[in-house]
Amino acid sequence: MFSGVGEDPDDAEAAASQEISQEDAWEVINCYFNEMGLVRQQLDSFDEFIQNTMQEIVDESMEIDVEPVSQHDPTGGGLRQGAAQKRFKVRFGQIYLSKPMMVEADGDTSTLFPKEARLRNLTYAAPLYLDMTKLTYTTTVDDEAPDPGFDPATGEPLPRAMKTEEVVEPFEKVFVGRVPIMLRSKFCSLHGHSDKELTELGECPYDQGGYFIINGSEKVLIAQERMSNNHVYVFNKKQPSKYAHICEIRSVIESGNRTPSTLQVKMLSSGSKGGKAIRTTLPYIKQDIPIVIVFRALGFVSDKEVLEHIVYDFEDGEMMEALKSSIDEAQPVQSQETALDYIGKRGALPGVPREERIKYAKEILQKEMLPHVGIGEYNEAKKCYFLGYMVHRLLLCHLNRRREDDRDHYGNKRLDLGGPLLANLFRLLFRRLTKDVRAYLQRCVDNGKEFNLTYAVKARTITSGLKYSLATGNWGMQGNADVRAGVSQVLNRLTYASTLSHLRRMNSPIGREGKLAKPRQLHNSHWGMICPAETPEGQACGLVKNLALMAYVSVGSPSAPILEFLEEWTTENLEEVAPSSVPRATKVFVNGTWVGIHRNPDLLVRTLRQLRRQVDINTEVGVVRDIKLKELRLYTDYGRCMRPLFIVENKRLLVKKETVTLLERNDLVWNDLISNCMIEYIDTEEEETTMIAMRIEDLTDARENPEYAYTDSYTHCEIHPSMILGICASIIPFPDHNQSPRNTYQSAMGKQAMGVYATNFQLRMDTIGYVLYYPQKPLVTTRAMEHLHFRELPAGQNAVVAIACYSGYNQEDSVIMNQSSIDRGLFRSIYYRSITDEEKRLTGGARESFEKPSKEHTVGMRRGDYDKLDHDGLATPGSRISGDDIVIGKTTPIAEDLMGAASRKFSKRDVSHGAKNAGMVDQVLLTTNDTGMRFCKIRTRTIRIPQVGDKFASRHGQKGTIGMVYPQEDMPFSFEGISPDIIVNPHAIPSRMTIGHLVECLMGKVASFHGKEGDATPFTQVTVENISAELHKFGYQCRGNETMYNGHTGRMMEAQIFFGPTYYQRLRHMVDDKIHSRARGPHQILTRQPMEGRARDGGLRFGEMERDWYVFCLFVDLCALRT
Amino acid sequence: MAYPPPPGMGMMPMGGPHPMAAAGHHHQGVGSLGIPHKFQRKPKLTLRDMRDDYCEFELKNTDTSVANALRRTMIGEVPTIAIDLVDVEVNTSVLNDEFIAHRMGLIPLKSDFAVKMQTVYEAASGSNENNENYSAQSPTELTFKLHKRCESSQTAGIDVTSNDIEWDQAADGLDPNEVDVKPTTLAKLDESGNPEKGILIVKLRPGQEVKLTCIARKGIGKDHAKWSPVATAVFTFVPDIRIDQALMDTLTEDQRRAWIASCPTQVFELDPTTRRVIVKDPEAYTYDGECIKKAAEMGVPGLVEITPRSDDFVFRVETTGALPPATVVVWALETIEEKLKGTQEDIKKLIM
Repeated sequence: MFSGVGEDPDDAEAAASQEISQEDAWEVINCYFNEMGLVRQQLDSFDEFIQNTMQEIVDESMEIDVEPVSQHDPTGGGLRQGAAQKRFKVRFGQIYLSKPMMVEADGDTSTLFPKEARLRNLTYAAPLYLDMTKLTYTTTVDDEAPDPGFDPATGEPLPRAMKTEEVVEPFEKVFVGRVPIMLRSKFCSLHGHSDKELTELGECPYDQGGYFIINGSEKVLIAQERMSNNHVYVFNKKQPSKYAHICEIRSVIESGNRTPSTLQVKMLSSGSKGGKAIRTTLPYIKQDIPIVIVFRALGFVSDKEVLEHIVYDFEDGEMMEALKSSIDEAQPVQSQETALDYIGKRGALPGVPREERIKYAKEILQKEMLPHVGIGEYNEAKKCYFLGYMVHRLLLCHLNRRREDDRDHYGNKRLDLGGPLLANLFRLLFRRLTKDVRAYLQRCVDNGKEFNLTYAVKARTITSGLKYSLATGNWGMQGNADVRAGVSQVLNRLTYASTLSHLRRMNSPIGREGKLAKPRQLHNSHWGMICPAETPEGQACGLVKNLALMAYVSVGSPSAPILEFLEEWTTENLEEVAPSSVPRATKVFVNGTWVGIHRNPDLLVRTLRQLRRQVDINTEVGVVRDIKLKELRLYTDYGRCMRPLFIVENKRLLVKKETVTLLERNDLVWNDLISNCMIEYIDTEEEETTMIAMRIEDLTDARENPEYAYTDSYTHCEIHPSMILGICASIIPFPDHNQSPRNTYQSAMGKQAMGVYATNFQLRMDTIGYVLYYPQKPLVTTRAMEHLHFRELPAGQNAVVAIACYSGYNQEDSVIMNQSSIDRGLFRSIYYRSITDEEKRLTGGARESFEKPSKEHTVGMRRGDYDKLDHDGLATPGSRISGDDIVIGKTTPIAEDLMGAASRKFSKRDVSHGAKNAGMVDQVLLTTNDTGMRFCKIRTRTIRIPQVGDKFASRHGQKGTIGMVYPQEDMPFSFEGISPDIIVNPHAIPSRMTIGHLVECLMGKVASFHGKEGDATPFTQVTVENISAELHKFGYQCRGNETMYNGHTGRMMEAQIFFGPTYYQRLRHMVDDKIHSRARGPHQILTRQPMEGRARDGGLRFGEMERDWYVFCLFVDLCALRT
Repeated sequence: MAYPPPPGMGMMPMGGPHPMAAAGHHHQGVGSLGIPHKFQRKPKLTLRDMRDDYCEFELKNTDTSVANALRRTMIGEVPTIAIDLVDVEVNTSVLNDEFIAHRMGLIPLKSDFAVKMQTVYEAASGSNENNENYSAQSPTELTFKLHKRCESSQTAGIDVTSNDIEWDQAADGLDPNEVDVKPTTLAKLDESGNPEKGILIVKLRPGQEVKLTCIARKGIGKDHAKWSPVATAVFTFVPDIRIDQALMDTLTEDQRRAWIASCPTQVFELDPTTRRVIVKDPEAYTYDGECIKKAAEMGVPGLVEITPRSDDFVFRVETTGALPPATVVVWALETIEEKLKGTQEDIKKLIM
């Protein structure tokens, strides 16, 4: 490494030439996205579930042990002597997952590819097999053993010696259920295919996967945010509360699925009669227990011992003083026994003997209190230390030595992604499965029947359990109380960007009604992890978030290697530590558990970081050194948000020019950068202990002008500050020039823009799909767009935009559009809509059938044209249809006994489907579904030409509808004869302060003359001045203004018009889908009121204000008559 | 720019033997509407540049309204021929029928034949009965065919372009020597007069096929932009630029250079010999006002005075290739004349 001071000038020069520029950083970013893609968190999380967690869940379930329960035997005499006693055990072994498969109704099995799953409404799932072992223990009378004879006293025969035989019967690969597979994960059929092969498989090569296909519909698992477990928080309480401070922890053991046990250590506020005493809650104990009593119950009886574990340093008189009232409070309880009894009395039912109570209290302290520290025996010392630590933290806060903890700090939050979510569900389901197996075995055994494990396993439990949650989004077992809704959502396919954004979405399950603003606000610690712009407006504002581009979520790793390492590196185990040595050493925590102390934390931290950088310990491990608290916190758990940063040593990046050259040549990949200690992942908590340079130039400045530099102790450097944005915000050009809510509005609107949502849209049968005729890549781009494939799958067109009033038909956020441009194909789009139906099997074996219903035999035919139907009952592709034409003809037989006299001549009832939309029949799919029934999808298409009322938006939260269309000759024209495609009203600009909109236009103009894309990435050195100078060189007014001529009159317009190309999006809201009026129409049968809603041709309310107008008109009429 | 003017163009005094004056049942010196000739202006048209797809001319001695009428007519009302109906027999390409039909419509067809055609409205209303150019037999429709298939051997796929569109003479029964309607582009032409690379309609992969019958009709840009013969037609006012040389002399040469550079277009230059600022090309001035602003900034307001001339226009017409630019202008003038005639007759009816 380079030495910081006293460098040889030649060396310094050589070193300087080795430094990378901000431009080179983009090469690193390219490399990141090429390797990681955009949904890495989803894929890694799922892979972790399949590869490790699933097996762990199976392993952690206990073996099934079944013994025949003695049945009532009327002959008496219980178990007969000499009869063989059988006992069975079932053990679970290895699991196996195959590739996604499809089992047809006739039993045919074949590999399933996502395209087929989507089209045939199948579930993209792979069968899961499990090795099971059946152990049969037969206990019989040992014939070889000598007869024990008779009991000399009673004369009864003594029990004979028994022997137990073990028979091991393996059941290999028992089918236990079908697990939905995440697309593009390691177990997906598409894994490892090249782009060309993907295209041949009917997939879009730009599709990133990360979702599931359940019954043909694509489902995303939304990351769920929660508070992190095993984390000690101290909060101050406001006056009405009984307590001044509360120190709490949600303690959860690392493995398994124990519900979290919360422990709160509280300090009474000085006003209350306890007088600043500290008490704690204990699980299952109804009353708060004075803290000293808990210590005594744990076996630390003397005041000295108690104080040692809390204060550590007896010199600290202030803290000792603060504990005084707590000590006094526990004065009457002076032994472990009494302390335990004290606790036991406040827990168990009254009237329990003292011994029982003590035992009960002991159990609670051992198993229920702070389970993450340990639930075995002899953990009292550790628990005592931990409880002491909590009290210590509480006192620090009480003595104003530390501020209360920040609940909203992102380091205190964890994200549950697809993997953990599925793991929790799978754990529940697997437990249900074993329970069922056990019940079956018990039944068999009790009835004395032999059993076969293959039949015992109900694969439906797992198959339909997983499917149910993924299909409905209700997370948890059906019928359970604690189900979370909306965890799984239908993947948004309106635009490619909306799909990507959906795959990186996260949700905080905090009550939407809560007025509390804090959890919704952007927090400093969100930097680089969560997009500051992309969040919905309204109820879910700030609760639904989106991951920033380079943010990653840890998948978790076992803590054992870390613990081993700590032991090797002379960490003193807590059990062997004298409390007096604590204040001088640094406390070491692993995943929230205090494991020991260390006397040389500098060295330890340095070694840990170095090993992590070398990938000797997992790169995901978070190393947080809190100097003030004298703590070293290590984290290996899942769900921590982390992001890559350049490592800085001696004010120089460790990534050098030559590395970048290697990257350019593809000789190096992202992982090499990690393993060669150039870049590391830093999680939100560790970020607080780093010093991050914003730009690479900051480091240069720190070297060259140390006196002006912010600091000289940089440890890391941002890869690029624009990476703090999420998917949707990365599409905005110059977001750093906009008022911030505008970026939020655009982030929401970009999801409604039309474009090409997937390259395979022709092969898909989505219920609704919009495709733009001529999508264009924007003239003004951001660097991040490259990785979002916005150029390949754009959602908009570069329209020539003038900012002018021109006739006033663009007031109140409407726009004027050039009809000639529309004629030439501007913003023309296709609207696809699919209608699905299947032949259902009816009760009694009858089934529906697709056919063209005939008037003679069918009752209840609809109003609509049946002539579009072919002989097979489906509309012909290419035929033109109107709104109420029938496109799927289907009949259901009428049961003989139901036929009334009138309908005797009819044998069928019509259950056909209307088209819902005028247009053309685009494609017809007729196939069978998984039940073997005939199943069809019909896709219709409608061409949507922009018209008055359709909605458009620029990329700066500036939306508007068309207010008027003018032909080219009526449009204003410039010196060169260019007429605008869109005229927006200047009033849209000043109050909204979307300067980015204007700068985009200016740069677009320059870009069109350059023949190159303009770079509008935020936080770069581009200035309006530079762009203006360029434009001037091309012979235009430098600020983009042009003198224009009125198209109607030919006169020169007095004001100059701001004129240039701006990227516009067509949004999916179109008048044709909304226009509605009726004079008379259908009524409800019950109330005879008009129907509601456009879809039912409903009525429109003639309200009070409309009535007022009507009265007024009558009045005027009356007056007019009088005169 | 020196360019041989085509016959009938060049210096073309538009007043000439005035069509209205020629009607001649009024006394000398008064026009058909009773306006004395001395108030009548004689617009003058000077051709400056003429290429296959572009022309530039100066129109003098007339009003903005006339100039704008000419511009608007060129864009919106000069008739051309364009494909209007597409009958799709086979389409296995990636683009749907409507998509291809829209693209077909936008292909410019050589439209000189449009004079001999009638629009569907004209045919239906019989409004052309008295017009010598038309007859009852004047066609309203021309049929074109396009059939292209990508064989499995053509693994790279093929392009279907406008060159693949063929006129179906048999269907229309017209004299092939008379009808010269075919797709055209502004691209280079090969020996047979076809554009070397036609306009791309759709790309086909092996096994895909398109078979279409197209019906082309006469129409105007007002109805649909595909019938507009021009990409743009534009006029600008010729500016009157007066430099206050006395004031200019107070500036240093650097200041003069800076001032000249302030104008984004090359309007001014420094005379190499006299070192004075002269107007190099007044028509390059886009009325951006930058030089005026700069002068004010330099503390010499009034350094230059620029006024647009209200009776002097420079026209630039860029065609799509459907009609030669001269034809566009002439037909536009004819259309205006036609309209004025109609108006005149209507007014006469009102007066009498």
